Amino acid sequence: MLEEDVKVLLIEDDVAAAEMYRLRLVADGYSVVIAQDGGEGLRLATEEAPDFIYLDLRLPGLDGFEVLERLRATPETMHVPVIILTNYGEPELRERGMKLGALEFLVKADTTPAQLSASVERSVAPRPLPST
Amino acid sequence: MPDPASAWDDPVATDATGRLFRESVNLASRVASGGGSRRDVWLLQLRSDVLTCIAASDTAAIDDRGPYRVSEHPRFDQAITSGEIVEGDSQAVLPVRAQGTVVGLLVVGGTGGLDIEERDTLTALATIVGLGISQAMTVDELLQETERSRRLERLKSEFLNIAAHELRSPLGIIRGYSSMLSEGMLPERERLVALSRIAEKAEEMARLISDMLETARLETLGLEMELEPVDLVEVIDDAMEAMRPVVGANHRLVLSAPREPIAVVADRARLTTMLTNLIDNAIKYSPAGGAIEIVGEHDGRVASVLVRDHGIGINAEQAHLLFTRFGRLVTPETSHIRGTGLGLYLARETARLHGGDIAVTPTPGGGSTFTVVVPLA
Repeated sequence: MLEEDVKVLLIEDDVAAAEMYRLRLVADGYSVVIAQDGGEGLRLATEEAPDFIYLDLRLPGLDGFEVLERLRATPETMHVPVIILTNYGEPELRERGMKLGALEFLVKADTTPAQLSASVERSVAPRPLPST
Repeated sequence: MPDPASAWDDPVATDATGRLFRESVNLASRVASGGGSRRDVWLLQLRSDVLTCIAASDTAAIDDRGPYRVSEHPRFDQAITSGEIVEGDSQAVLPVRAQGTVVGLLVVGGTGGLDIEERDTLTALATIVGLGISQAMTVDELLQETERSRRLERLKSEFLNIAAHELRSPLGIIRGYSSMLSEGMLPERERLVALSRIAEKAEEMARLISDMLETARLETLGLEMELEPVDLVEVIDDAMEAMRPVVGANHRLVLSAPREPIAVVADRARLTTMLTNLIDNAIKYSPAGGAIEIVGEHDGRVASVLVRDHGIGINAEQAHLLFTRFGRLVTPETSHIRGTGLGLYLARETARLHGGDIAVTPTPGGGSTFTVVVPLA
């Protein structure tokens, strides 16, 4: 799969963080769409048909868990890999996210943009779709 | 040592000690009857140099509760100073001690001297009353200590929460950009953006840490103001300058202040921090952007600074909670906005330590206006 074909949706309300990750992902050849709240994230997840979604937990309106639940309940987005990217590292949140079908749970402060970009590479490599 | 007076008044201590006082004065009244009619007995509480009746035997007239000035009653004065029983024609006065200090007097009325047995029993009763007060003082001390521990415990867990979440957010940006810089992957223009983002987020972390330290200091030692003559207009300028890097493309800081200085006596650094916190809030709580007006003015008596945004606004009924520690108002519109709940608490404490105060009112048409007033120099 050519990297230029891979579209990433970042659902992230912190403009500085979104801009930083976008910079890295674009440099690595991905195309990036940013949503600043949960509702916009759900809309773009359907309209833009991303190959991959990064999802923040603390968001205006719908929070990350609600967004994830709805993504999983929608046929068009059901199988799109989602990585949770958050400032919250609590094990119970991680567990909840993984149960809802997230592929990975990354803590922002511990994840460099390079590591983030690598996580896309891993997940868009040929592999079985995550079961839901 | 705790204030003995507060132990007498303590609502928890009052139930038990109140009963002890009543029983004691009635028992004293019976044992001091000397086989004849019962004597009146009063228990007086000593607070600085004033005595107030807090218990009287059933026989005594309770309408005469004092207060009595110690200096106007030589016999009371003598008993307090000597710590010994003082007997006169119509009265015997026994000092009541708690934790080594005279905290009150047991006064036995009626004519005729006391026999040895009566005197010994009354002295023992005064000791028992004193022990009761000592207990109440200890309870009071423990309650205060418990309350303090509870506050500090809460502070500790809130600080852990701030460290876990609020500090991580700017840290993530600093780490992210610095890793990209060291990989050498950013083009020239983006390098400059990265550097200014790092500076801005380091500034944000510094503010968070300073708020945490100030709160901890306030809770344990109290804040010591470094007061000096200061031009408020300059302080406003400094605060605006400090916030410049944080102001994004969709916000504008608009200053309105007189050309001449506004002289106040203030802790310059703290006042500046307070204003930067207010501007930071104005930015955070007006996500759609717009002007943030900062107005410096005075009316010849007090100086005021207004920070006015056109953002989400605040529910007026809950506004008073804003200035309490960790008193952030979380609503569906604001739940995602980062904050420690310390900024406005510190702002109010700072304003009050300057002899002023802070208030919030709705901005006409939407948003909030925070007004800080401090006395003119």
